[in-house]
Amino acid sequence: MLALVALLIIVAAILFYMQRAFSGKIPNLRRLPAVDVIAEILGRCVEMGRPAWYLFGSTSMTTPSILAPTVAAFQTLAYTARMAARVGAKFFVPVNQGLAYTMAYDIVNEAYRAEGKLEDFDPLRTVMYLPAGADRMYIINHMWEEQVAGAFFLGSWYHEAVIYTENAARVGALMLGGTDTTHNIPFMVAICDYSIIGEELYALGAYISQDPTQSSSLAGQDIGKYFTIILILIGAVLATAGISISWLFKM
Amino acid sequence: MSSRLVRISIPIWLTAIFGILMLVEFFFPMPKIVIDTNVTLRSFVTIVSAAALILGTVILTIAHVRRISDRKPEWYYSIIYLISFAVAAALGLISVRETNFMWIYNNMTSPIGAALYSLTAFYITSAAYRVFRARNWNAAVLLITGFIVLMMLIPVGAAIFPPIVPMGEWIRSFPSSAGFRGMIIGTSLGTIGLGVRIYTGRQKEHLGIREEKMEGS
Repeated sequence: MLALVALLIIVAAILFYMQRAFSGKIPNLRRLPAVDVIAEILGRCVEMGRPAWYLFGSTSMTTPSILAPTVAAFQTLAYTARMAARVGAKFFVPVNQGLAYTMAYDIVNEAYRAEGKLEDFDPLRTVMYLPAGADRMYIINHMWEEQVAGAFFLGSWYHEAVIYTENAARVGALMLGGTDTTHNIPFMVAICDYSIIGEELYALGAYISQDPTQSSSLAGQDIGKYFTIILILIGAVLATAGISISWLFKM
Repeated sequence: MSSRLVRISIPIWLTAIFGILMLVEFFFPMPKIVIDTNVTLRSFVTIVSAAALILGTVILTIAHVRRISDRKPEWYYSIIYLISFAVAAALGLISVRETNFMWIYNNMTSPIGAALYSLTAFYITSAAYRVFRARNWNAAVLLITGFIVLMMLIPVGAAIFPPIVPMGEWIRSFPSSAGFRGMIIGTSLGTIGLGVRIYTGRQKEHLGIREEKMEGS
């Protein structure tokens, strides 16, 4: 029951800020450095005449822990694909699961259509389905073959994070990495030139959406953070004082 | 029905209704009919995934056929794909439990996967070299803590310097755990925010939809 109360408080805070945005009251938000990095990476690719890759990692959307970061990465994909179409960067999106493939295909196709560059979208190449397992060798090989100049590693990442980012680093690609998979965050931070960690993956999509209601929802999430910090402090004080409130969690 | 209703409104409403239904089932005891409905809905995900897999496989095959017909560099590898695909698909259609199909899986697919997975160890080593260079103050802290934990985990570490074990355990139990928990809390809040934006229809890029394009069409 406590979990439900906490969820309702956080959801109410998010909805409150989204509602305020409708009436024109936009909260001040810290600009995520990653927003500028996307343009920088794509610009570099155009200057060098080499492709930019957008990789998702694990995209098994039937797994809840993978679904959320993948959907968050889709939103950033929409922005990145549109910018790639605008600046004329060669863009490649390999996807290793069927369901995610169809969604990524629609997103990138729509982005090129929105920019009036549908002729640059190759139905068989821009977004490519590579079956899970077989995708690794293809990606490693083609990173070297095509001399990738920029790469985005966003979504839910597991062991392949190290393999791909290391190869991209050796090829000399400028990289933006971001995941909420805690055991792979260190590799993203260590290997990639720029990184977003944990919730920034979700915030980035909302931030770049150019929709005030979406970016305002981030202020609501911050209320959740303050709420959590207060609870942690109370818990620390109670634990230090030897007071148990375990009965509260059995409600 | 208007294009906007079909492409935007209906998917968003369906997402919100079924999403909230799943959420309610998690928090409250529900009648059997609701639970059964949710189980059926979850099985839909598997069916849709399987259908998307077929679509993906067809597109992959078309790409390889086109590669052969255009005589692109190393096009002959695409022939190997087509032969492998045809053999595996034929044997799988006869029976997935048939000995020949399982032989392919156990002796070809599985070892290739394991070999690729094992590459991770080598990449981690070179990644560690990239990380463990004391270029600045932050990297120096990472280098020192990483070295302590590494020495704690290998038997020779305790033999050389016994206090390395409690030091390493302290790093893993307190600073490391605290950092990870903070990360998980932040991620959970981000996931809630993402859910609210999707359920309220503000975020719809995952559906391949851009509102301003639809308005113009």
